[in-house]
Amino acid sequence: MPKAKSSFFDLEGKRALVIGAEHPHGAAIARAYAEAGADVALAALTADEAVMRIRGVQREVEAMGRKVSTYVMDVMLGKNVEVTMRQIVKEMGGLDIVASCPDLFLAKPIERTSDTELARVMQANFNSQYFVVRHAVEEFRRQQQPGRIVLVTSVLGERGLPNTTAYAAAAGAVVNLVRAAAIEVGPDRIQVNGIALGWMDWMQDRLRPDDEEAQRAVRFIALRRRGRADEVGPLAVYLSSERATRYITGQIFPVDGGLLQHL
Amino acid sequence: MGGSVLERFDLDGRAIVVTGGGRGLGRGMAHALAEAGARLMIAARTQSQLDSTAEEIRARGGTVATFRADVTDSKQVDALVAACVREYGRIDVMFANAGGGGGPDVDFWEYPDDAFDHLLATNLKSTFYSCRAAAKAMVEQGGGGVLVATASGTALRGNRNFAYPTAKGGVISLTKSMATMLAGHGIRANCIVPGYVSQTDPKDDQEREQRAQRGAFIPSQRLGEWWELGPLAVFLASEASSYITGETYIIDGGGLAGGLGPIKFRPRHEW
Repeated sequence: MPKAKSSFFDLEGKRALVIGAEHPHGAAIARAYAEAGADVALAALTADEAVMRIRGVQREVEAMGRKVSTYVMDVMLGKNVEVTMRQIVKEMGGLDIVASCPDLFLAKPIERTSDTELARVMQANFNSQYFVVRHAVEEFRRQQQPGRIVLVTSVLGERGLPNTTAYAAAAGAVVNLVRAAAIEVGPDRIQVNGIALGWMDWMQDRLRPDDEEAQRAVRFIALRRRGRADEVGPLAVYLSSERATRYITGQIFPVDGGLLQHL
Repeated sequence: MGGSVLERFDLDGRAIVVTGGGRGLGRGMAHALAEAGARLMIAARTQSQLDSTAEEIRARGGTVATFRADVTDSKQVDALVAACVREYGRIDVMFANAGGGGGPDVDFWEYPDDAFDHLLATNLKSTFYSCRAAAKAMVEQGGGGVLVATASGTALRGNRNFAYPTAKGGVISLTKSMATMLAGHGIRANCIVPGYVSQTDPKDDQEREQRAQRGAFIPSQRLGEWWELGPLAVFLASEASSYITGETYIIDGGGLAGGLGPIKFRPRHEW
């Protein structure tokens, strides 16, 4: 790997935790952190094939010569986030960066969305992020060191789309969680920012290949194509780098190919 | 707070200037403001349009005077405000509504100075001139008053035809600054942001059909009508909005709430 010319984006010596690393964007962020020099802990959200996926990411990161370990973190439960985060910090000898990438999509008309489904969408996409911020802040404060938190959410946190009431509301909640948390923990030198994903190439749950209208939605993107996972990583590195973004907090940055600029 | 909530929408005797009041959205606002009891001074470049709008308003019992002015010329704008004060003894509300689109459809790097200057003058400088002249008169008459600018939904998104949205973006920004600067004088400033709204009733069935087709791309499944800005104008001009300033009021049939895909895009993904 060629040595980066600028040290602005260098994460050498940093310890990063990527939650939801089984998702394409989580895996891409983990790889990007490692490429930038960080050691990484990878947490899968469920103890199933997700674990196999993060093992794959683990091997790639190992090949880059970084320290890497894998965990399962049930982000539906605050206590599990707390305990697992504690364990990770102990095993890594500290923590500097936390990126959180949950994504549970549901697209169903509002009148048919059940209490249970709403609760699950909120828990998976919003409560999880809340727990992550709560316990990342706890760990950063315990260390009395600055910390970076990056929450990955969706452009649906800014705009509406039919059949996405629950998911869009959860994304909107994350958007303002970023702002409110940033204000609250800023004095402790903890920075919280968000990444809002647009239409990405792995999102076949929303852009179904057999749905003509979904294919047309791609034309609403200024760059006229879906985003790739490797296009998310550099922004996460930027937002996690001590030298590059010392004064940026409480902001949401779309990676959407200009989708939000469509009228 | 006295009286019923409906009384708070009354514009009884308020002296209100509407620029671009001869046609389109300005005409729609003028009709509603007159109906709410305002005394109007409508201004535009085209006297015949002013006359016909004034005639319509008078036929419904409204009070209206007209003033021919090109709002890109600050002297004419100052004269317009002076005419309102002369006619009604004061000015209570300024609707800086005049504006217009257009411009050549060329590559960005080929866009000529004069087209850009023209669109900035028509849409942004005109708003500044109108609000400045009105604010000065309002402060001179002891403070209090309302400024309402008309921007455009195009300002909030990217657009190939960029000069008009750029100017309208300036209008939104100007509104916020005016609200801050003038609050101490009891002057509120707000901004109306129309989406795709028709300027007139459709001429014929063909036009009706064209509009229906364009409207199909909007969540409300239709274009806005020129008169639908009227109630919003009354709300923002009246005491009903007494604690609202620096805000942008979007009226677009839901357009800006969506935009992530075609109107028929309804993902289905159930567990």
